[in-house]
Amino acid sequence: MSSRLRVVAVLLTALVAQATLLTEIRIQGATVELMMIIAILAGFHGGPERGALVAFFAGLLQDSLVSVPLGLHALVFPPLAVAVSSLEQRMVRSAPVADAVALLLAAAAGICTVAAVGLLFGLSPYDPGTFLTRIITAAVMTTSIAAPVNRAVRWAVLGGLPPDIKLRAVGS
Amino acid sequence: MAAKRPADRPRPTLLILLVAALTLLTLQFRGLQPLDAFQQGVRDIIEPVRSLSDRLTDPVQTAWNGVFGFEALRMENERLEVELARMRGNALTSEADTELLNRLLSEVDIAYSDFDAVVVRILGQPPGNFSAHMIEVDKGTDDGLEEGMAVVSGAGLVGRLEQVDRSRSLVQLATHPDFRVGVRLVTSQDEGLARGTGTEGILRIESGVRLDAQVDNDEVLVTSGGRSVFPSDIPVGRVVDPDPDADYRRSIIVGLAADLENLSFLKVVLPARKSEGGP
Repeated sequence: MSSRLRVVAVLLTALVAQATLLTEIRIQGATVELMMIIAILAGFHGGPERGALVAFFAGLLQDSLVSVPLGLHALVFPPLAVAVSSLEQRMVRSAPVADAVALLLAAAAGICTVAAVGLLFGLSPYDPGTFLTRIITAAVMTTSIAAPVNRAVRWAVLGGLPPDIKLRAVGS
Repeated sequence: MAAKRPADRPRPTLLILLVAALTLLTLQFRGLQPLDAFQQGVRDIIEPVRSLSDRLTDPVQTAWNGVFGFEALRMENERLEVELARMRGNALTSEADTELLNRLLSEVDIAYSDFDAVVVRILGQPPGNFSAHMIEVDKGTDDGLEEGMAVVSGAGLVGRLEQVDRSRSLVQLATHPDFRVGVRLVTSQDEGLARGTGTEGILRIESGVRLDAQVDNDEVLVTSGGRSVFPSDIPVGRVVDPDPDADYRRSIIVGLAADLENLSFLKVVLPARKSEGGP
């Protein structure tokens, strides 16, 4: 199966999961942002260009599912994927806890940015009273499902490619 | 982890994607129909899967509510029993009032509003985190529903249809900050424009009502009709704070009559049928 087909399969599966099971699971009104975490992880594993492309289509599908204008999430997800990819390339080493915290921050930043862009376009996505709680809850819920999504996204964007080997000069 | 490949061109790619997204947004705001159709098509394609998932998860949800919500349910039942007893008393008074009203209406030759409605089941919140003050219901264009139609419960106005697909619709609740409805104060007959505040159960009237108008606490509001998309005389709520001391701009707080807590069904009000021989 080619990488493109794998990405399409992962995106469509995620769309169905977001529309069905994940919509039922809500804490304080917040739910998992599955398409957003796919965008973030696509940037992490696939690099800036491939990550941005996957993120754009994830955003378009998310826009079709939720009641927002087409292009809103597609506007936010690609820069998020590129930013994550850029940060990932600057990290000296990776630790699970640090990755989880980075993912949490990226998800919270992504949700905030979507809300801010939504406001710019005249939408009122959140209650001012519950805004912070909802963002934190949604970010934590999103991070909590990262492990299985991570495997799927890695398989989709890197499947078939050899693992990267980083070379560092001794003493540099 | 990803290493930067020589072929990666992140900046031009990102720029192209951003321009594409902005173009889509602009076209959508200009009302380009194919984009709406694309979004609706995606939702219609996954609709059978969603319906199946709803059916499969319903028993799980019921069991969950039965285990963890039993005490709340028992208290709610007790409250409803008290309410029912009170309503039976009120019903007797209403019957007498209705008879008097009908007699008066027939004397002045005004037909009492009689709505056709479609009963819809509440499915819950729509997907995503962009759904504050929105709920999803189980009927759509296949059942004759259209965007903008009023949604009511037994207690009064609930909201309006915001987005209608083939077999599902989104209801924008009256508390949504973008919601607007023309209202009439029943006692003073003053009319104003009420809007959602983003706070559960609360509307606000900030225009239309005169500064010197006599508005009492607990005064009932109904929809004003006229040019509004909502039919007239649907109960909206009661005045909670009439703001009698306003100097420049009056801001009347209204408590919404309809309470969505524990509701499963709503009614969508269909437009009144055009009279025969009318335009």
